[in-house]
Amino acid sequence: MRLTVLLKLAMRSVGRNTRRSALTAVAIALGLALLVFSRSLAEGAYDEMIDSGVRMGSGHIAIQAPEYLATGKLEHRLEGKEVRIASKAVDDVLKESLLAWAPRLSVNGLASSTAGAVPVRIEGVDPERERIFSNIEGKLQEGRYLEAGDRLHAYIGTELAQRLDLQVGNRFVLTAQSALGDVEGQLVRVAGIFQTGIPQVDQSLIHIPIDTAREWLHTPDAASTLAFLLNQSGLTDIGVETLQQELENEPKIRVLGWRESSPELAAAIRLDSTGNYIFHSILLAIIALAILNAIMISVLGRRREFGVLRAMGLTAAETGLVVFLEGLFLTAASGVAGITAGLLFTWGFFRDGLDFSIFMEEGVEFGGSLMDPVIIPRFSVEQILISTFVIVTIGTLSSLYPALRASKLDVAEAIKFEQ
Amino acid sequence: MRKTAVRTTDVWKIYPQEPDPVEAVRGVSLQVETGDFVAMAGPSGSGKTTMLNLIGGLTRPSRGGIWIDDREITEMSDKALAQLRLERIGFVFQSYNLLPVLTALENAEFTLLLRGVAKDERRRKVLELFHKIGLEGLEERKPGKLSGGQQQRVAVARAVVADPALILADEPTANLDSTASSDLLDVMEQLNRDHGTTFLFSTHDPRVMERSRRLITLVDGQIESDKRRNHFSGSP
Repeated sequence: MRLTVLLKLAMRSVGRNTRRSALTAVAIALGLALLVFSRSLAEGAYDEMIDSGVRMGSGHIAIQAPEYLATGKLEHRLEGKEVRIASKAVDDVLKESLLAWAPRLSVNGLASSTAGAVPVRIEGVDPERERIFSNIEGKLQEGRYLEAGDRLHAYIGTELAQRLDLQVGNRFVLTAQSALGDVEGQLVRVAGIFQTGIPQVDQSLIHIPIDTAREWLHTPDAASTLAFLLNQSGLTDIGVETLQQELENEPKIRVLGWRESSPELAAAIRLDSTGNYIFHSILLAIIALAILNAIMISVLGRRREFGVLRAMGLTAAETGLVVFLEGLFLTAASGVAGITAGLLFTWGFFRDGLDFSIFMEEGVEFGGSLMDPVIIPRFSVEQILISTFVIVTIGTLSSLYPALRASKLDVAEAIKFEQ
Repeated sequence: MRKTAVRTTDVWKIYPQEPDPVEAVRGVSLQVETGDFVAMAGPSGSGKTTMLNLIGGLTRPSRGGIWIDDREITEMSDKALAQLRLERIGFVFQSYNLLPVLTALENAEFTLLLRGVAKDERRRKVLELFHKIGLEGLEERKPGKLSGGQQQRVAVARAVVADPALILADEPTANLDSTASSDLLDVMEQLNRDHGTTFLFSTHDPRVMERSRRLITLVDGQIESDKRRNHFSGSP
């Protein structure tokens, strides 16, 4: 019963100075809306980066020989037996979450034409699987991507084409050390030219059919990496853990999540995320100060009123509770408004995304991955719950001090104060 | 024989202040009987308000003892004091001190609300009292929409509606004109007469002193005189 009275008093007090409460609530709500929106935008950007990164890289989950990540050498490859064991394990435990997978046989080598020679990264790929898996076909500038049945075709970047003076249909030679230890050459013809916008990729990556690569390098059925794309990047950790358990008795097989196989991307996201957290913390601190300020002004101006409440029989704790509840009401009202506004604002860009091409025309490289200039914000139930928890915590903490001040009041002084 | 509503023995209140501590109350001993209508007079700074605050448990004495209904309050916990105020004491302040966020009716029923009295009962008591003291029709007005005299009557209603044993009123007519003061004193006398409520109030106002049954005069924190008056029209 007494709590009902305190609730009523607190609620009425919030509504008493409508202009001040409204201004504070609007400031808090705007801050929160900005927080929710920028968080959603960051999450959307990270999703885009991860998706782009894992498609261009080794997928959400990669299976390789244990030493391959460190060396990148052909000698550290999965032989046909390991490829079959790993494929079966993935089929057994990840089938439901698997979007696509692709085998790759990679080797460092040299690409030569009459214009010169350039060090390159040659990837033998399964054209049909790669078409679904990676987004590199979408970066096509001229010609076509590899197709099933291609044998001596190559898909190269624009910068490499420029440096070797190659056009679609031209031939050039790839040279690399084969599994036998000999340096061997392979003549290929340009099927298509792509441009990702990432200089490192455009000047050094070459896709050739995996069967051609296996034959050329004397590695029948082998793969450097088996790359797996999941239908949700959030399933990566559990997927890696499950596969590791499934393959724990296979010493020649290592299961990696995208954070391990694409450390540059993971580090870039971590760094950006840290920056975001600092920005959000500052924003939350400002919100906390706004609440503290509003409640403190209210408390300092109502000393006599609190004195009267105490004189009428409210305890010190109950008087403090009235103030504390006021802070919570103010926080709750502005919190709901802020989170709703943030979600609505995010929702407005949910379909078409937010176009940043004015700042980055062709997208920007981020952690070795190309970021699309159009970012589609993403919010999740988890994010809404975290935002709610954070704002309740901030409201609680910001209201504690004014509540304490109200409860520590000298009643006789407070009543005398404005006489 | 009448019971004792308030008793103080050798009460001192000293405020530690540099360079010299301020002795607001200096060894006051007094006794107020149940149902009495007592005025405490004296110039500003004589200790009237401090005495009321001490008796109401709003501040603690530096030394001495205070009893309300034969219960020693000086050693009571803050929580016990709050409960005592809620159950036994009503306050009327010079500047009305109504809660601005509540209506006249809600202000008046606030103590009953804190005591957990059912809504119907609360409303019945308050409306009855409002009728008696001329506040009918003003129930839903917020304090800002009431005149000074009306606000003070609401404050008195708030103090007496829960039938406290003792009402402490600090200069209740100080901010009222002569008509409003006279009306308020009529109300207080009526409540004293009808409910047997003990009134102890501080005042400068000679008209209020004239209508008290007993007049205690304080000077420099000490009782200078304590006179019983015989033309009082309140509770016998």
